[in-house]
Amino acid sequence: MTLDSRVPGGPIAEKWDRRKFENKLVNPANRRKYEIIVVGTGLAGASAAASLGELGYKVKLFGIHDSPRRAHSIAAQGGINAAKNYRNDGDSIYRLFYDTVKGGDYRAREANVYRLAQVSVDIIDQCVAQGVPFAREYGGLLDNRSFGGAQVSRTFYARGQTGQQLLLGAYQSLMRQVDAGTVDLYPRREMLDLVVVGGQARGIVCRHLVTGELESHAGQAVLLCSGGYGTVFYLSTNAVNSNVTAAWRAHKRGAFFANPCFTQIHPTCIPVSGDHQSKLTLMSESLRNDGRVWVPKAPGDKRPPAQIPDADRDYYLERRYPSFGNLVPRDVASRAAKAVCDEGRGVGETGLSVYLDFADAIRRLGADTITARYGNLFDMYKRITDEDPYQVPMRIYPAVHYTMGGLWVDYTLLSTIPGLFVLGEANFSDHGANRLGASALMQGLADGYFVAPYTVANYLGGTATPPVSPEHDAFKEARAASQARIDQVLAVKGSRTIRQFHRAIGAICWDYVGMSRNEEGLQKAVTEIRRLREAFWQDVSVPGDRNNLNPALDYAGRVADYLEFAELLALDALERRESCGGHFREEFQTPDGEALRRDDQFSYVAAWEFQGVGARPALHKEPLVFEEVHPSQRSYK
Amino acid sequence: MRLQQASASSIGSKILVALTGLALFVFLIGHLAGNLLFLAGPEAFNQYAHALIGNPLVYVAEVGLLSVFLLHVAKTVAGVLANRSARPTAYATRRWAKAKNPRSRKSLASTTMIVTGVFTALFVATHLATFKFGTVYEAAGIRDLYRLQLEIFSAPGYVVFYLVAMGVILFHLWHGLSSAAQSLGVDHPQWTPRLLVLGRVLSVAIAGGFFLIPIYTFLLSRGVL
Amino acid sequence: MAMTVTLKVWRQAGPAAPGRLETYTATNVHPDMSFLEMLDVVNEDLIRAGQDPIAFDSDCREGICGSCGLVINGIPHGPDAGATTCQVHMRRFRNGDTITIEPFRARAFPVLKDLVVDRGAFDRIIAAGGYVSMNVGGAPDANAVPIPKDVADRAMDNAQCIGCGACVAVCKNAAAHLFTSAKIAHLGLLPQGEAERGRRVVQMVEQMDAEGFGSCSNEGECEAVCPKQISIASIARMNRDYLKAALGK
Ligand SMILES: Cc1cc2nc3c(=O)[nH]c(=O)nc-3n(C[C@H](O)[C@H](O)[C@H](O)COP(=O)(O)OP(=O)(O)OC[C@H]3O[C@@H](n4cnc5c(N)ncnc54)[C@H](O)[C@@H]3O)c2cc1C
Ligand code: HEM
Ligand code: SF4
Ligand code: FES
Repeated sequence: MTLDSRVPGGPIAEKWDRRKFENKLVNPANRRKYEIIVVGTGLAGASAAASLGELGYKVKLFGIHDSPRRAHSIAAQGGINAAKNYRNDGDSIYRLFYDTVKGGDYRAREANVYRLAQVSVDIIDQCVAQGVPFAREYGGLLDNRSFGGAQVSRTFYARGQTGQQLLLGAYQSLMRQVDAGTVDLYPRREMLDLVVVGGQARGIVCRHLVTGELESHAGQAVLLCSGGYGTVFYLSTNAVNSNVTAAWRAHKRGAFFANPCFTQIHPTCIPVSGDHQSKLTLMSESLRNDGRVWVPKAPGDKRPPAQIPDADRDYYLERRYPSFGNLVPRDVASRAAKAVCDEGRGVGETGLSVYLDFADAIRRLGADTITARYGNLFDMYKRITDEDPYQVPMRIYPAVHYTMGGLWVDYTLLSTIPGLFVLGEANFSDHGANRLGASALMQGLADGYFVAPYTVANYLGGTATPPVSPEHDAFKEARAASQARIDQVLAVKGSRTIRQFHRAIGAICWDYVGMSRNEEGLQKAVTEIRRLREAFWQDVSVPGDRNNLNPALDYAGRVADYLEFAELLALDALERRESCGGHFREEFQTPDGEALRRDDQFSYVAAWEFQGVGARPALHKEPLVFEEVHPSQRSYK
Repeated sequence: MRLQQASASSIGSKILVALTGLALFVFLIGHLAGNLLFLAGPEAFNQYAHALIGNPLVYVAEVGLLSVFLLHVAKTVAGVLANRSARPTAYATRRWAKAKNPRSRKSLASTTMIVTGVFTALFVATHLATFKFGTVYEAAGIRDLYRLQLEIFSAPGYVVFYLVAMGVILFHLWHGLSSAAQSLGVDHPQWTPRLLVLGRVLSVAIAGGFFLIPIYTFLLSRGVL
Repeated sequence: MAMTVTLKVWRQAGPAAPGRLETYTATNVHPDMSFLEMLDVVNEDLIRAGQDPIAFDSDCREGICGSCGLVINGIPHGPDAGATTCQVHMRRFRNGDTITIEPFRARAFPVLKDLVVDRGAFDRIIAAGGYVSMNVGGAPDANAVPIPKDVADRAMDNAQCIGCGACVAVCKNAAAHLFTSAKIAHLGLLPQGEAERGRRVVQMVEQMDAEGFGSCSNEGECEAVCPKQISIASIARMNRDYLKAALGK
């Protein structure tokens, strides 16, 4: 199979207009005859369902939460980018495009990124019109800040709760459509399978998480907006129910999985404190504007921080990157923290954290200024750790945060299965090997509000979709397969809990497919993942039964999928013999330890085709062509 | 929206409770002012009472007052019942959230509104039976309510009962006045807190006035004054 | 410094089944654990012992999704002001404490299992009018209408509601006024929401009543448990808007 990205021809700035013009349309009177299934209610899913509902399609919306408003997008803090240039600081669509391609370390598809930058401005207009209360200045106009080391101020925000406000905006538009009868809500449903009929995605099988019933839903198109797979690492900043299940099951039905090894590790998170921990909490990146990162110079120096004189401290980011200092990009800061901890210079009980010290800033600016800037973050830190960052330095450590990889999609967000669209973090499309701060929210809403409504119409308008009943054999087969898997996992009745397996798979991924990877470790990871998967099916203990609300059973299914998916993650990392963005292969680094990209060999998207559990998937390559932005080495020295 | 529909809703009902509660409160002020004339001696007091009873408009006023009272009772009793059924299973352990956050206005007064209200209703019934429909004495051709009051409050039991009743009404108003302001949508960063205080001061003032009357009468009847 | 606490937990097999408090002992409780992590550990032990683990909802575990919600020792979201259940840490308790854990209780929030309740009523209240009627594509430039900072800030104060339902859980009347008024205030304060202000309040209140929530006694316990500290001034505002709409203004 050849991968056709279906990027329209012509100059980059005109591609999207051209695509929109060439798209087929669906007559308004006919739209309600089309049933569209949307899985996921985060920014991508909620915005897509709302806008398709507004257009008059019949939408069915599924999510695992009790309400669409609880999707993981709600937790995003920092902000959303848009090339509005309200600051007159030289921002433009082209600059946002350029920054995003470069930030992604030249592993994203240019045309997609350009379109993202183009529609970013419409997103802000849309959200403000919905009533999203973005931060404003005294003059009443929208405030912007510079985020993640960007040279322009293009980030819009709503206190530290931007994701919440954007999601609630989309949710409200969605609920308006629910009221209007165009969208039907199916909360507490977990998609367990994609149903493919005649080569087209025609429906899903899902489990009603309260009654346990397996339901079949048929439609003319399926939009998968099920988020990222960060929780394969067990500990991450993601919500605890985030999972790869929907995407993975679609993958098993034929959708290619692209670049799974592109995972993002965020440098400023509250460190792990013990085995009991269920998730890690992100501390806003903005803290690095005033905090100084350091560890003791001598390994094993266990003195309390106040007793370590300046001469015995190593401000390693300032030392290694004199021009960017503490503000180096996420991947660089994370790797540097790992390096000093590996040298035995990490601090805290576990030795797996570094100091983020505000003492100088407090001395220079006064405690009040620091409170005004970071008061709520300091409070949050204190609540969790019981340490007062005004008195002692914060301790931070990198944690898994975002996944750039995902199901492969073409320019129209269509996967390799006709009729299966993939939106938001679940697809691989726009961030390459590293995502810039404040651009995931932008992408989720771009896909849902401004891309899918056109491209779904084009698909429906140009494709014959004969009626399919939920009693079609393909549905029966999918239901039976899901049932069998549920019964199988309940039947094991072993001795180890699901969480033990999740922790174990997380540990393997973190140790070998985490911040820094090498051939030997990755090989080992593959072996260990396989062994763990076998152990799971022999020794997992899943309580309760299937006809009931049984969170443990849901969890078991997700972990079982992770045990399959993790192998692909490791394989992809193994295959990509270069370092780029969030993917750092120790074998490929510059003499001073920076990532070494190998454009001659790896300037492609790795799209994997499923061949069976444990069987080596087939690799398909979509070459990346850079016509606008010419790949160069990133440098922050 | 039709007004009828609005007045059946939870918010519409509370607006009516607040309006009727405030109307009753205004009546109380007037009633107190009249009763304080007792201090001015029998003539003044009886003259005032006569003028009041003699006015044909008083029937209209009485019917109005009764409807307001009944509406208040009907809406609050119905509300309490509906509110009970909004939580069919009780908590095994219950603590006030005020314990963790002083922003709560919950008080003993706010939790006992129905108790203090029902007590007030019983009191009003007794009060009407003893005075309005009590023994009719005459003096100078008009009803001698002064004598009746003197007689009734010479019994210490009655005095105590009245004092308790006034305390109960004070309690009802302690939460009631600020609550009514909130129900009617009064919210102002500076004025709302002042209104809360004003409500309490007024409640105390009213109750204080009403405290005075039975005590004064009792002392008078015992010849202490 | 591991602690041991006794838990009395509401167990209920299903919506129609009777429920009761069951007693468990949680050993090896670390003060740094969050309350939900403590329950995770208790559940691990229950699974190992072949028993049904305690069902409860949670997702973000950082106080923003509104999934979690337990009544801990008689107070929704437990002992910390301005925090959700998932933000409570075990260092707030002492070794040997007995902790009672119950679900949020209201007729409009039926128990699905153990500590999990159905808060779908909140979604239906929003569907009744908690939005600005505008379609994608029709928006003017975001800076076309300036909004004074203090107005935007107040709108944000209200928009912060996470829909957890603690306000209902704590209210002696199981009233949803704080939740409903927060959305009405958020949208009503902004010029974008002005056009539908009257219609919105009428429809949302109608839905709120139809769901079987109680009415407001103005005690303000909701404000005290609200993890986002939304003020009951918003309820006053909703009452005012409602009065205006009822009088046809
Ligand atoms: C702590 C944190 C802070 C962040 N801050 C920022 C920021 O400041 N700026 C920024 O741009 N990005 C930020 N991000 C990233 C961003 O929040 C996410 O990438 C984005 O919200 C993903 O949106 P989504 O719609 O793709 O998926 P999600 O919001 O993850 O939604 C997934 C949906 O899929 C549903 N679902 C999942 N599996 C199934 C299944 N099997 N069956 C049915 N339904 C299913 C879920 O119910 C959910 O509704 C942050 C992320 C984290 C973790
Ligand atoms: C002297 C007569 C009375 C006065 C001045 C009075 C005044 C008030 C006021 C001002 C309120 C507050 C309204 C609000 O919360 O919006 C109130 C509430 C209330 N009243 Fe009365 N009241 C009187 C008699 C009664 C009686 C006889 C009852 C008997 C049932 C009663 C029961 C209640 C109850 C239960 C409430 C609380 C309603 C709630 O919490 O929702 N009241 N009253
Ligand atoms: S108003 Fe507060 S307590 Fe009520 S649902 Fe919203 S956040 Fe929760
Ligand atoms: S789990 Fe999200 S608020 Fe507690």
